[in-house]
Amino acid sequence: MADTEEQRKFTQTQRLKAAVHYTTGLFCQEVAEHKEVEFSKQTIAAIAETTFRQCEIFARDLEAFARHAKRTTVNAEDVKLTARRSNALFSFITQRSEELVSNNQEQKEKRKKAGGKAKKKSDAPLQSGMDEDEDSNIA
Amino acid sequence: MEARESGAAFKKETVFKLLSLYFKDDKTKVSSDAIVLMAEMLKIFVKEAAIRASKQAHTEDCDCVQVEHFEKILPQLLLDF
Repeated sequence: MADTEEQRKFTQTQRLKAAVHYTTGLFCQEVAEHKEVEFSKQTIAAIAETTFRQCEIFARDLEAFARHAKRTTVNAEDVKLTARRSNALFSFITQRSEELVSNNQEQKEKRKKAGGKAKKKSDAPLQSGMDEDEDSNIA
Repeated sequence: MEARESGAAFKKETVFKLLSLYFKDDKTKVSSDAIVLMAEMLKIFVKEAAIRASKQAHTEDCDCVQVEHFEKILPQLLLDF
């Protein structure tokens, strides 16, 4: 029984390593075209393996940061902390994080407007709240 | 800008599975924003490794980036991350 559990985990790890290797190959291809060099297969494999091992460090850090903030869900703030060692990296990740937040805001507003059409009321919950207060005063 | 030419990226599911593989607590979850940001981090890591190794190869007058070039830039790369 323990063997099959180990085998399952081993297979999963192998699949993940293969996925990382594949994407690493794609990135190296882009750099190769850009810098007009070639990457040997061993180099791509070495970069992929290093990336895979770096994930362990990232994961442990992220979990520790989230736990320190008394959360069970890792969020963008934790990711920003892992990027703290390099100023350029930190500002890049912060910028991407802000882009994501503004994207989420836009999507929320779109959804509110779409929902508002169905209800026939305007997309301003504050106003409808005030209307109710006036009604209760009259009553 | 040629920003859109870089179509390669780590899939969200891959990133999530990679991270959860090393979580000590089963209850730990990851927000979708965090997954997107981590995918960016990993992309930068790989690209940084590749570019630094290619620069090292260029310094040594090589057309092909070998493992030894990668090995030389590896310590600084790990310290920077």
